[in-house]
Amino acid sequence: MREQMENNKNSISVLVIGAGIAGIESSLLLANSGAKVYLVEKASYFGGNIIKCEEVYPNMECATCMIAPKQQELLQNESIELLTLSEVEDVQGSVGDFTVKIKKRARYVNLENCIGCNECFVPCPVEVDNEFEERLSKRKAIYIPCPGALPNAPVIDTDNCLRFKGEDCQLCQEACMFDAIDYTQQDEELELNVQAIVVATGFKTYDLTQAPQYGYGKLNNVYSMVEVERICASNGPTEGQIVLRNGKAPKSAAIIHCVGREKKGYCSSVCCMASIKQAHFLKNKIPGVKITQLHSDLCVPGRVYQKFYEEVKESGVDFIRATVNEVEGQGTGVAIKYKTENDEEYTLNVDMLILAPAIEPAIDSEKLAEILGIPQDEHGFFMEKEPDLDSVNTSRGGVFIAGCAQSPKDVPDTVADAEATVGKILSLSR
Amino acid sequence: MAKKIGVYVCECGNNIADNVDIDRIVKTISSMRNIEIIEKYRLLCSEDGKEFLKQSIKDHELTHLVVAACSPKQHEQTFMNVCLAAGLNPYLFQMANIREQCAWVTSDKEEATDKAIRQITAAIARVAYQEALEKRDMDVSPDVLVIGGGIAGIRATQALASPDRKVYLVEKSSSLGGKVKNFDKLFTKMGSGSALISDELRKVEGNENVEVFTDSEVEQILGFFGNFEVKVVKKSTSEEQEFNVGAVVLATGFDLMDLKALPQYGYGKLENIYTSLEFEEMNVPDGTTGGKILLKNGKPPGSVAVVHCVGREEKGYCSKVCCMYSLKFARMLREKLPETKVFQIYSDLCVPGKAHQKFYEETKSLGIEFIHAEQTNVTQNDKGINVRYESNNGLKNSLAVDMVILVPAMELGNNTSQFAEMLGIPVDDEGFLTQEHQLLAPVASSIEGVFVVGCAQGPKNISESIVQSEAAAGKILSTLVPGRKLELEVKTSEISETFCTGCKTCISVCPYSAISFDDYKKIAVVNEALCHGCGVCAAACPSGAARVKNFAFTQIYQEVEALLK
Repeated sequence: MREQMENNKNSISVLVIGAGIAGIESSLLLANSGAKVYLVEKASYFGGNIIKCEEVYPNMECATCMIAPKQQELLQNESIELLTLSEVEDVQGSVGDFTVKIKKRARYVNLENCIGCNECFVPCPVEVDNEFEERLSKRKAIYIPCPGALPNAPVIDTDNCLRFKGEDCQLCQEACMFDAIDYTQQDEELELNVQAIVVATGFKTYDLTQAPQYGYGKLNNVYSMVEVERICASNGPTEGQIVLRNGKAPKSAAIIHCVGREKKGYCSSVCCMASIKQAHFLKNKIPGVKITQLHSDLCVPGRVYQKFYEEVKESGVDFIRATVNEVEGQGTGVAIKYKTENDEEYTLNVDMLILAPAIEPAIDSEKLAEILGIPQDEHGFFMEKEPDLDSVNTSRGGVFIAGCAQSPKDVPDTVADAEATVGKILSLSR
Repeated sequence: MAKKIGVYVCECGNNIADNVDIDRIVKTISSMRNIEIIEKYRLLCSEDGKEFLKQSIKDHELTHLVVAACSPKQHEQTFMNVCLAAGLNPYLFQMANIREQCAWVTSDKEEATDKAIRQITAAIARVAYQEALEKRDMDVSPDVLVIGGGIAGIRATQALASPDRKVYLVEKSSSLGGKVKNFDKLFTKMGSGSALISDELRKVEGNENVEVFTDSEVEQILGFFGNFEVKVVKKSTSEEQEFNVGAVVLATGFDLMDLKALPQYGYGKLENIYTSLEFEEMNVPDGTTGGKILLKNGKPPGSVAVVHCVGREEKGYCSKVCCMYSLKFARMLREKLPETKVFQIYSDLCVPGKAHQKFYEETKSLGIEFIHAEQTNVTQNDKGINVRYESNNGLKNSLAVDMVILVPAMELGNNTSQFAEMLGIPVDDEGFLTQEHQLLAPVASSIEGVFVVGCAQGPKNISESIVQSEAAAGKILSTLVPGRKLELEVKTSEISETFCTGCKTCISVCPYSAISFDDYKKIAVVNEALCHGCGVCAAACPSGAARVKNFAFTQIYQEVEALLK
């Protein structure tokens, strides 16, 4: 194994799958060591889940500002080839000598020519829901998911673009001053030779329609935590104005923790802190708003988080240990029926209900596990070589996992994982 | 030599040209002093644009360059590269951001043009005073010092040692293995801690690239990233050894909170009350009880209470791992003493991650009783130990048990703070060593080349500690490459010998411990290898002696004056 890596000593190449915070960190460290990195990202942009956040706990730092320098570094690093709109299709070989097939979908926008001026969106006649904004706003068929997304270049969504549906429309091309729009671009198949692979595919959240008792999808003012993250975002659908679908700011809000925990059978680690963060954010943005947290066990581990919890609690946020039985529509808001630990039943009426869903493995993890030849655990997360002793390693030599692809975790643990995959890879190759 | 400043205004397609009158800019600027040439271009960052710029710099023999275009975040590096290609020092170049800060935000074209002129004028005023700076590098040692021979230190050593990188592993006690070697069982797989440690040590002890020092203290660490001088002393013989390393990994672990401060738990006064670490030791097969769980009277306990969160309130933080190891204790008790009643007195069960809740549920199904309680205290009456607590409905309850295991808060390992002081690493309110960035740099300290892993920077389980060790290895292996020089920050701070009054204000504010005091000259001196150019010293210096290169007062005053004129 080591021999194969040694033969390639001066030209180690690594495939990193997923360009969220974990994939970015792994790529930057590997590139700085002198390795060639292929960073493969399914979406048209990179940055992963963290760029959906306005602020991150516990210091309420602006998330996009926090990772912007890393993103710039990544764009400027010549040893990193960033492959957006790309997916891994096949992996053959073994540590030190993997052959990887990548499918790179056409963007229909030439990255070298495009300067990101956004002029092409304006004339596009198509309007569809913006998935990045949790369908809370519309986008065009040629679009960037949100202001500030990188690379700062749009993509054509061929499912909705009139031209790709057979009509004779070229309004975006006409609007572009830099000849950046190229309808003739084709999907590409790339074949790469790499010595090691880092899997950093992140997470998605539990489908809240699977928990119908909370009224998600049926009641207007029931939101997922991810939706609220976008509502809080200054580059989001409401430009940071915290308003309900009727355009008014809520006077009261409740956050239900652990949605899906029982079904999933695990604690998602980060939702308590994320709920506390959202309470803090709402409290600061909406004067006089009343916020209630309905939680089970509070998980605020480590030396820093409890302090943040106590500060938020002292600011007047109510914390109630409760089981929620049912949520119903009540006037313009919702009525939450819950039971406390002493079996006392209560009803809480609020304008806005926020649900904190469980964290699940990213979409298509099963397919990727098969391609990579690595097992998944009972929950679908990628399986470690040894759960408590070698958690960034997998049973397939040369394939490493980082961040929420392995288990739900917070940002610092995710970054530590990413750095650890680099430790593993570089100690293999010496 | 006369200054020949070139100014290039980018139209950015129509992005700037539409909202700013570029011809008026060219006309106004061209009459200014020292302007050799001013030209507009459609898209300067394009391949053609860069070639044009390079040629123009050469043709006009420019001494300074101003580009009025987009944000420097986007293309400063692009144009610095053009400078290099044209033979102009890239630090004699300044960008004026007339897109994001002007064309895109100021709707009135006249106003936008006026503003752009001010911005460009300011850049011209500044650039004339900029200095040519050179990139510097230095030779480094790839070797690493690892302090602490527990599981974190051992795994860091394994990941780092190689034929071209020596690792010095220093442990203050007489043997490696830390606390884990005294754990009979580890969650979640219930494997043996001592077996794990002997496995891991096999990879370290025979390794010719590792030098192990046991019974030893690190007495001194001087220097900086790439070049630390270390002195290690063997405690029993006072024998000294000195060596150089490029990086330091602190893996000094934790201690339990001293329970003397919490008399309500009866520890040290009543019999059969143990701390978690004492209970671990009792279970080790070669311990004083031969691995048997026994009361002081030699009999096995009929009932045991495990009290969680001891000292949590006083400390103000959750120690993260105690819930899981308390569950482990319940299993150990159940296995060795199937008839013994086991109670878990807890506040919030913290079992994060994909695997831990299952461990909890399995433990619970073994007939372990979980009591959610607050205000717990431990006393003794004629029946034995009495655990009193307040349950969630506010009622006071009590429980008679034979044995109590207290689960105290974890705190920084003793004498770790001496390293924090030796190296200049800030300590947080809770007493742990802080990271360079809480989220994005979880194992790096604010001192470059010094990494803090495992419980030295907060309570952690074995798995997390190992990941952190490997993370530190990742950071070190990617930056301290054998045979490669280390690039240094160019825009560092300088302190003028003439103006420095030796007041030491800068030393107290420098977050990187980059400034020291020259006792002979009685002035402050900047170590350029450590300085990150943050400018805090320049802001704090009362005599104006400290300045950051290319952020000197003249440059900034010239820029601001031109902007406001």
